[in-house]
Amino acid sequence: MNCGLRIADCGFMGKGRNKCGVRSAKCGMITMIALVFMLILGYAGSASAMLTAKANHDHITIDFFYHGSTVGVKGLSDAGRDLVIKITSPEGEQVMKQKGKVAGVLWMNVGSLKFEKTPNMYELFSTKKIDDILTPEQQKRHTLGYAALADHVEVSPMKNAADKTQWFGEFVKFKEASNLYKTDFGNIELKDLPDGHQEYFIETKWPYQAAPGDYLVSVYAVKNGKVVEQAESHVKVEQIGMVKTLATMAKDSAAIYGFLSIGIALSAGFGVGLIFRKGGGSH
Amino acid sequence: MYLYLPVALTSINILIPVGLGLAVGLLSGLFGVGGGFLLTPLLIMFGIPSTVAAATDSNQIVAASTSGTYAHWKVGNVDFKMGLYLLVGGFVGGIIGVQAIKLLHAMGNADFVIKMTYVLMLGIVGVYMFIESIQSMRKKKDTAAAEAQEEKETAVSRFLKSLPLQTRFEKSGVTHSALVPIVLGSFVGVLAAIMGVGGGFLMVPVMVYMLRMPMHVVVGTSLFQILFTCIEVTFLQAYTNHSVDFLLAVLLLVGSTVGAQIGTVFGRKLKGEQLKVLLAVIVLVVTVKIVFELTLTPSLLISQAGGH
Repeated sequence: MNCGLRIADCGFMGKGRNKCGVRSAKCGMITMIALVFMLILGYAGSASAMLTAKANHDHITIDFFYHGSTVGVKGLSDAGRDLVIKITSPEGEQVMKQKGKVAGVLWMNVGSLKFEKTPNMYELFSTKKIDDILTPEQQKRHTLGYAALADHVEVSPMKNAADKTQWFGEFVKFKEASNLYKTDFGNIELKDLPDGHQEYFIETKWPYQAAPGDYLVSVYAVKNGKVVEQAESHVKVEQIGMVKTLATMAKDSAAIYGFLSIGIALSAGFGVGLIFRKGGGSH
Repeated sequence: MYLYLPVALTSINILIPVGLGLAVGLLSGLFGVGGGFLLTPLLIMFGIPSTVAAATDSNQIVAASTSGTYAHWKVGNVDFKMGLYLLVGGFVGGIIGVQAIKLLHAMGNADFVIKMTYVLMLGIVGVYMFIESIQSMRKKKDTAAAEAQEEKETAVSRFLKSLPLQTRFEKSGVTHSALVPIVLGSFVGVLAAIMGVGGGFLMVPVMVYMLRMPMHVVVGTSLFQILFTCIEVTFLQAYTNHSVDFLLAVLLLVGSTVGAQIGTVFGRKLKGEQLKVLLAVIVLVVTVKIVFELTLTPSLLISQAGGH
């Protein structure tokens, strides 16, 4: 400490650089050794509490025969910790149609709702029910659970908080029906290791409805109602080959794509017409 | 076997679109309707986003109606002249309809008006066609009654005959003012644009009851007309909304082009009245389905924006 202060002093003094330089070289050595020692200690300290996360299938490719995938997330944490795993897509804006009753009896679209700061995919896994292991404040801080997500997203137009809770609930139902939102409590596999760690593992079906993009896997270690550690991993979903070519063409060369679609349809119609005529089907 | 659809961004069992295409193509060949009013909701039910379902459906109809028009043309059932006049009208009507939709949206009650128009149109057309074709089946045996019917109609036909630009439609065996198909075509065009459908189920009764064309020529001519409408819609959807799924369209058209051929063959074995009754029943079933959808509490109160 002393040495450290003196180095600082030297730095600020400016004068007598020679003397100070020699002394500072010595001091520097000591500081370096101290730092390295502290780093080793620090590393050892954090290693005993280090949370790790790894998605086994972190690059999903979409070809014509893609029908979803399976993703496993595994890692190590301190023994006895509860764990929460969240898989999300980046947040964005989604516009949805809102159904309501007209004239008291007829159900139809009555308007549209804009959901902002809303992920297209949100999956949550935890060792126990989220309310049993995390305080509401902690859930909110890390956006863990539908209640916290409801608080996080912005829905418009909304009259009041109850309105927002109801319509976000409907939104979740819609997303769950498309396999894009999910909560799964109590199904993380845990295995205690002899060195005081535990190994956790989940395997989840990756929905084919999840659009191409980068997905974030966040793992939270929980103790006494609080998140004490966090680790991350990524899953990239990407279209390849002809799927990618067609998707890109539909967006970037829309006119050619339109003509191509019409051309194929016309020739298929004529082609089948000719086949049937030759086959004698329609005389 | 499942295939991944690059624009719909979802995976589907190929038997579903091929089977649905076959069924809808059959209806096209039989009745001269595009079948969008059946296929689009079915595709949505199988997880296709509504915008993609509507756009891809029109791409598929291009194939089915080409196949159907070709089959009907081979047996001399397409009145190209009438088809062109109706197309001109439909084109004008489409432009008016799109403006009407904008106005409705601005007024804030678009969906109510659209749904009500849809239900009323389907209901009226279905009931009228059903009753009329049952009656004409009976009247075949009772020629005196048929003559009385002819008498009654002369009031309307006298007015139609007084219009300028009278022209003969050889294939259909009728003479009308060129204005009649243009005006009727634009009327269907307005409604079709408002309802977001091709309008075949409206065009067929218009040709049968107002233009007095024989049912078999109606089917062929309607398909010819639908073909052009759907080419236009497919291009606009692909160009402005990027919502045509090429692969889904191919799967659908594999079924629908074959279905349209089979439908044409079947249709030739049925009498005009029988075809009308069957179409009326289908239209009424769809009406009932929509009425149920409107009155039963939906399981999801939120849906994707776009489409119908």
